[in-house]
Amino acid sequence: MNNEMQILFWILVFPGFVFTAGLGLFASWLVRKVSALVQYRVGPPFFQPFWDIRKLLSKEVLIPQEANKWVFIGAPLVALAGVLLLSTVLGVAAFCSGKSFVGDIIVVIYLMVLPSLALILGSSASASPHAAVGTAREMKLVLGYELPLVLAVIVVIIKSGGALGLAAISENTPVASISGAIAFLVCLLCIHAKIGYVPFDMAEAETELGSGVLMEYSGGLLALWNLTSAMMLVALPMFLVMVFLGGVGTTAGGIALGLLKYVLVVVLIILIKNTNPRVRIDQAMRFFWIWCGLALIIAIVLATAGNIYGIGWL
Amino acid sequence: MDRDQLTESLTKIKNELIKVEKTVDSRLYLVCESLNAHKVSNFIFKTLGCRFVTATAIDSFHYYEVLYHFSHDQTGTVLTVKALIRDRENPSIESIAQFIPGAQWIEREMHDLMGIEFRNHPDMRRLILADDWPQGVYPLRKKTKDEKVS
Amino acid sequence: MSLSAKAVKKSPWVFHVNTGACNNCDIEIVDLLTPRFDVERFGIKLVGSPRHADALLVTGVVTAQAAPRLKEVYRQTAKPCVVFAIGACACGTGIFHKGYHVVGPVDKIIKEVDPNAIIAYVPGCPPKPEAIISGVVKALSIL
Repeated sequence: MNNEMQILFWILVFPGFVFTAGLGLFASWLVRKVSALVQYRVGPPFFQPFWDIRKLLSKEVLIPQEANKWVFIGAPLVALAGVLLLSTVLGVAAFCSGKSFVGDIIVVIYLMVLPSLALILGSSASASPHAAVGTAREMKLVLGYELPLVLAVIVVIIKSGGALGLAAISENTPVASISGAIAFLVCLLCIHAKIGYVPFDMAEAETELGSGVLMEYSGGLLALWNLTSAMMLVALPMFLVMVFLGGVGTTAGGIALGLLKYVLVVVLIILIKNTNPRVRIDQAMRFFWIWCGLALIIAIVLATAGNIYGIGWL
Repeated sequence: MDRDQLTESLTKIKNELIKVEKTVDSRLYLVCESLNAHKVSNFIFKTLGCRFVTATAIDSFHYYEVLYHFSHDQTGTVLTVKALIRDRENPSIESIAQFIPGAQWIEREMHDLMGIEFRNHPDMRRLILADDWPQGVYPLRKKTKDEKVS
Repeated sequence: MSLSAKAVKKSPWVFHVNTGACNNCDIEIVDLLTPRFDVERFGIKLVGSPRHADALLVTGVVTAQAAPRLKEVYRQTAKPCVVFAIGACACGTGIFHKGYHVVGPVDKIIKEVDPNAIIAYVPGCPPKPEAIISGVVKALSIL
C-alpha cells in the first residue's frame, strides 16, 4: 500500500504532474519575458501561461468532420502521458537518490520520442492540408535529430565507463572534456528542435503554414498540447543536466546548484531562440546528419581514446 | 542609347502612329489605332528592348483607350502605347500576352472590368470579379444616369 | 465574473482577417506587436488559425468574393469569441459605400451567421494603434 501511494505521489505531485506543470509554465513565462526584453518590449505578466491554459479549457472543442476522431483526441493524451512519465523518471532519479535502475537512460530516450510521435499522429489525423505539410516537416525533423541525440548519449555512456543507469551517469560531468562538450552542444540543439523553438520550428511555422501541425486543435485539446510543450521545457533541460552537467545533489546546496544548472540550460535555449531565423527542413536535416553526425563521430573517437589511454580531458 | 536616339528610333514605326506626344521629358505617348497597337508594342518590346510595366484601360466617351506602359530603363523614360478602340459596341484589340506573358493578368483584369475583348489571349478567365458575378456586366464602364450596375 | 470570463479577458488571442481592405488597417494591426505598442503585455498573441482565436480582427469592406469566406472563418472560430471591426470600411463601408463589389459592412455579414454575435467597432482610416488598443481593452472589460 505504501509503495503504491508513493508511486502515485511521484507521478501526480512531485516530481510528476503538479511540479512539472508548475515549473514548466513558469519556464515558458521566462522564455517569453526574456525574449520580450531582448526585443526592447515589456512582455507578458507573470501568470500569463496559467491564464492561457485556463482560457483554453473554457473554449469549445471543434473536431473536423473528416478527422479520425479517436486518434485526434487520443494524440494529445498520449503526448501528455509520455512527457509526464519522462519527467517522473528523471525527477525520481534526480531528487530521490538511488531509485534509478540500470538501463533507465534507454527508457528515457524512448520516452522522449513519444510526444513527437503523438504530434505527428495527431496532426495527420486532422484531415487538413496545412497540417499535412506540418506533419511531413515534423517527421523529417524527428528523423534528423534522433540520430545525433542517440550518438551524444553514447558519448556520455563511453565517458562514464559503460554505466547505463541515470544515477551512475549523473555522478560524472562529461561536459568538462572535449568530447563531452561537443556532445553537449549537439544534444542542446537536438533538445531545441524537440521542443520546437526557432530555428527549428518549421512544423508549426506560423507565417507560412498558419499554425501547421496544431491547426485544427482548439479548446481543451489545444490546452493539452500547450501543457505538454511547457512540461517538455522542464523534462528536456533536466535530462541535459542529469546526463551532461553532473545531475542534482541531495543536499540543499546540491539541489540549489542543480536548479542553477537547469536555469543555465534554459537561458542557453532562450539565447539560441532569439538570435536565429527559421531554417528550411532540408537545411535542418543536412545540419543534423552531416555536421552533427561528423562532430559526434569525432567525439566518440576522442572519448574512446580518452578511455583507453586514461586521459580524462579527452 | 539616350533620349534623342530613342526618339529618333521611333521614326521606324512612324506609319503606324497617329502622333507622338511628350508631356514631360520622361514620358512619351505614342497614340495609334487599335489595329496597329500589336505591331507597335512588338517593336518597343523586342527591338527597343523596353520592359513592360503595366496596362490601363480608360472609357473615354468617344472611344475606349488601352494604354500599354513600357519603361526604357537606361534613360528612365516611360513609353506609353495609347491604342484607341473606336468600336464601342464590341471593343476588341489584339492581345500582347502572346509575346509578353507578364501581360496576361492585367489583360484579364481589363476584360473583367471594362469588357474589352483581347483576341488570341492564351488564358482568358475571370480574374478579380466575384465567382457569382453575372457574365456580361462590366462595372467600370461609364453609365448614363438611368443605368445601374447589376 | 466567472473564472472562464476572466480567463478570456486575461489572454485574448487574435486572428486577423482581411476581407478586401486597402491594407492600411492591416499595417496598423501588425504595428501593435512591435516594441513601441507591445500588446503582449495584455496577453494578446497573434495566432495562425481561427480555431485558436478568441477575437477576430476584421479589416476591409466585405466584398462579394470575401463574404462566404468570412462567414466560414467565423464558424470555425471557437466560441466564445468577439469580432472587432477595425477601420471605417469594416464599421460601415467607409468610402466604398454603394460600390459594385460591396456586400455590406462586417456586422451585416456576421449577423447572417450568428445574430447574437458580439461585435466591437474601432473606427478610423486607419485607426491609430493606440485607438485599436483602447478599443480592444474597452471591449474586453465589458465582457
